[in-house]
Amino acid sequence: MTYSAKRRRASRRPLLAPYLFLTPAIVLFVLFLAVPIGYTAYLAMRRTRVSGLGLGGGSRREVFAGFDNFAAAITDGELWAGWLRVLGYGAIVLVVMLGLALVFALALDSARVRLARFGRIAIFLPYAVPGVAASLLWGFLYLPSLSPIRAVLDVDLLGATTVTYSMANVAVWGGTGFNMLVLYTALRAVPRDYYEAARLDGATETQIALRIKIPLLMPAIILTTVFSIIATIQVFTEPTTLRPFTNTISSTWSPLMKVYRDAFVTGDLYAAAATSIVIAAVSFVLAFGFLRVVRDRAFGEG
Amino acid sequence: MRATRLGAALAAALAATLTLSGCGGGEPAGTPEAARTQSQAPQGPVKLTYWTWAPNMDKVVEVWNKAHPDIQVTVSKQAGGDDAAAKFLTAAKAGNPPDLVQAEYQHLPSFVAAEAVADLKAETETVKGEFGEGVWGLVTLGTDGVYAVPQDSGPMMLFYRQDLFDEYGIEVPKTWDEYAEAARAVRKKDPKVYLGTFSSKDPGAFTGLAQQAGAQWWSISGEAWKVDIADAPTVKVADYWDGLVKEGAIDDTPYFTPEWNKALADGKLLTWPSAIWAPGTLESNAPKAEGKWAIAPMPQWNAGENHTGFWGGSSVAVAAKSPNRAAAARFATWLNTDPEAVGALVKEAAIYPAATKAQTALTEAPGYFANQPDFWQQAAQASAGARGFTFGPNVGVTYNAFRDGFDKALQDGSPFSGAVRAMHEATVADMRKSGFSLAS
Amino acid sequence: MTAVTTRRSTGLLPTAVLLAGAIYCLFPVSWVLIAATKSPGELFTTPTMAFGTGFLSNVSDLLAYRDGVFWLWLVNTFVYAGGGSLLATVVAAVSGYALAKYRFPGRALIFNLLIGGILVPAVVLAIPQYLLFSKVGMADTYWAVLLPQILSPYSIYLARVYATAAIPDSLLEAGRIDGAGEWTLMSRVALPLMVPGMVTIFLFQFVAIWNNFLLPFIMLGDDGKFPLTVGLYTLLAAGANQPALYNLILTGALLSIIPLIALFLTMQRYWRTDLSSGAVK
Repeated sequence: MTYSAKRRRASRRPLLAPYLFLTPAIVLFVLFLAVPIGYTAYLAMRRTRVSGLGLGGGSRREVFAGFDNFAAAITDGELWAGWLRVLGYGAIVLVVMLGLALVFALALDSARVRLARFGRIAIFLPYAVPGVAASLLWGFLYLPSLSPIRAVLDVDLLGATTVTYSMANVAVWGGTGFNMLVLYTALRAVPRDYYEAARLDGATETQIALRIKIPLLMPAIILTTVFSIIATIQVFTEPTTLRPFTNTISSTWSPLMKVYRDAFVTGDLYAAAATSIVIAAVSFVLAFGFLRVVRDRAFGEG
Repeated sequence: MRATRLGAALAAALAATLTLSGCGGGEPAGTPEAARTQSQAPQGPVKLTYWTWAPNMDKVVEVWNKAHPDIQVTVSKQAGGDDAAAKFLTAAKAGNPPDLVQAEYQHLPSFVAAEAVADLKAETETVKGEFGEGVWGLVTLGTDGVYAVPQDSGPMMLFYRQDLFDEYGIEVPKTWDEYAEAARAVRKKDPKVYLGTFSSKDPGAFTGLAQQAGAQWWSISGEAWKVDIADAPTVKVADYWDGLVKEGAIDDTPYFTPEWNKALADGKLLTWPSAIWAPGTLESNAPKAEGKWAIAPMPQWNAGENHTGFWGGSSVAVAAKSPNRAAAARFATWLNTDPEAVGALVKEAAIYPAATKAQTALTEAPGYFANQPDFWQQAAQASAGARGFTFGPNVGVTYNAFRDGFDKALQDGSPFSGAVRAMHEATVADMRKSGFSLAS
Repeated sequence: MTAVTTRRSTGLLPTAVLLAGAIYCLFPVSWVLIAATKSPGELFTTPTMAFGTGFLSNVSDLLAYRDGVFWLWLVNTFVYAGGGSLLATVVAAVSGYALAKYRFPGRALIFNLLIGGILVPAVVLAIPQYLLFSKVGMADTYWAVLLPQILSPYSIYLARVYATAAIPDSLLEAGRIDGAGEWTLMSRVALPLMVPGMVTIFLFQFVAIWNNFLLPFIMLGDDGKFPLTVGLYTLLAAGANQPALYNLILTGALLSIIPLIALFLTMQRYWRTDLSSGAVK
């Protein structure tokens, strides 16, 4: 058998294999993502119709509503106000969290750092704290009469303007470690002799960090940005948990909170379904728009 | 080639296993179904599940389970309040609700409107006389049906720090005017201390205050709902608290927050217009103040009256889809009327029973209020003067509008009466959207 | 001389940065640690950063709460997180390998679809998932919490990156030339090379499921099946007329973090070195 014949045979073989390997994931995707999403779309086009007092048997029917729920969701001023709030919040979180993650990753990777192991574990630790617990914990720390912070800094941390920063702080606290780890992992993958060559050329550690490490990190930075954008759009836990502590967070503070309110507090599952489809569409446009722009860099592989 | 086929076969097998484990979920799913069929068969005991958040309910249920080997009840403790109501509605909609559920009076109409709870008229005929008319109205909603068995009730009273009242030289206020005066007096004596606080997070408390003033947010006229949340009594209550908060005589820390707990524990908050169940909360949050709190009738709008409202209180409802409705109804009536059961409820779950006979049987004051031997007599008096109203079918919307509206009013200083009107509008808009008949 | 000073100062700066970060991250955790030692009476009366005297009684109260239901929650959480992340890791590794090492029609589409799953918020999915599980009679079972968490878009993405980096194409080619089947290549060649990456995926997924609140909260009615997050929440949201059991919640929150910290500390050793070597081509 000639080499080319072998090659041909080898490349002809794996026709069915990748599909079979992907079957479990695809089956799970269909069952637990596609079907529920389809069901959501179905629900979004329905509504309940009550007759009379709505107390007797059979006085409540589910009827087809067409695109009424979508129209209501899109024209709802509160929802758009929510998007604006999340935009401001997201900008703070993205910049501060990713900035800190980058600084910590570079510090960990720098030549002569001490206590690296302790630092890495400590900064990663908040990742182990459930979002609900983290918000509750910071909530306690923000409260005027309990807060040790207030003893030093005399600001109302849950006031109308400060509350956004306070919430962003919870997200930054919980998310920095994870992103730091992603970036640090990417840095460790860079062969050490890259830096040695630069050092021999007389470059300082700072110059190495700025000129070599950060450009090398770009794909990883883009990636963490995409995932952070998506997570930020979906902000829900922090404002929901902090809400009982302050009167500055309404039940529709973020778009996802409105979905939760419609579904679980005011009992309109259908409006919730329509709103959630609008949210998913906006996330889709934002995240894939960003990905489109940077796709080749983030997913470039051999 | 053979190797490829083997590989493919193995991959297919793996995929099949994974898929099977997906479908295999059907197996345990079959189990509750099987258990249900079994329970309908005459030989096995009937198994009931009961969603509740009352503390120590297991111990009360234990008594029943011992005496009734044929009907075994399992308690499933839930997160309380609005969460529990939302979860029950979702479960009922999905078709797998528990057999029995703790239903707060304000949520019961939503349950009825969603056809989630069963009409127990026939099953409760014999126990109707055990309850007062007011509380019975809360489970019939003014219709011919009976949708739950009342469990406890929460007539409101004024809880106050007797020792600090003495220290600051304040009389127990008999009217809301006196309460306002006392609030100002306290601020003058010690600027760190407040007489009370207005909570923008607890629509239940505000509802009670409005009821005391004579509000009638919902009522049924013929075949239509009459909604009047921004009625004169409610606006009066809103304006009263608005004034006190704006002038700084009253604090605006919400109830049940750590902040509020601390203020109670530190003696920075002297009164709490609350319901009969308050001793439990006070005891756990301010254990050191034992024996320092006392109760008095609610301040009145007109001197000499004896009115109060309700805050909280629950009933036990049977799910419409429960296959064991008769057994569940038997348990619900036993739990709330049998002397032994109600006695255990009072002792273990610290509730104020809805059954009239059980109320008069209460003699020994709660430990935290040992300094006030006439605690229950006071409670009975308050209970006699309490007035409630029929709750509407979308209280969730109203209460949510309360929180958003009053949060905003406190935040930007807009009038409370505006928040009340926002509550009214949100409620009416939601009912109209769903298609309820509304009387204009 | 100058070179030495620069080096020393650059060693000092990153260390200082890391320490500041560590203090920021540990501060709230230390607060829980302190708060969990306070008895109910002390929680709101003693200074915030002062130790209390009630730690042991808090722990014993928590463990005695409703005949030790806390233990049940702990076991459940291990079942959900352990089982779910194990399955998720296998599914992700196999899918990631297929996406990284094969060229086939629909590859980009399948990848984008699977990754796109990350765009759908959990709050949005949980409700229809619950209604659908109810239709087949599986709501309020262990499966209802376990199954939806097996598919993890982020894990598949990571697995694909690892597979790309850790498995040389030449090795697969050589295997094929030797007549090895695709299944053998995957199980004998690819997966062993991916083990370090799989450990990482397992860890992330374990933490994600351990901390998940909304899905089990919506899916489960029977409190004997609750994981820790939902169980602790029932202590917090006890309803208006029942006092929230703050001291039990704080103690429970502390105890629920400890297994994860232990996991970090023990696993750290493995995946620090292995992760980097796995990612290097």
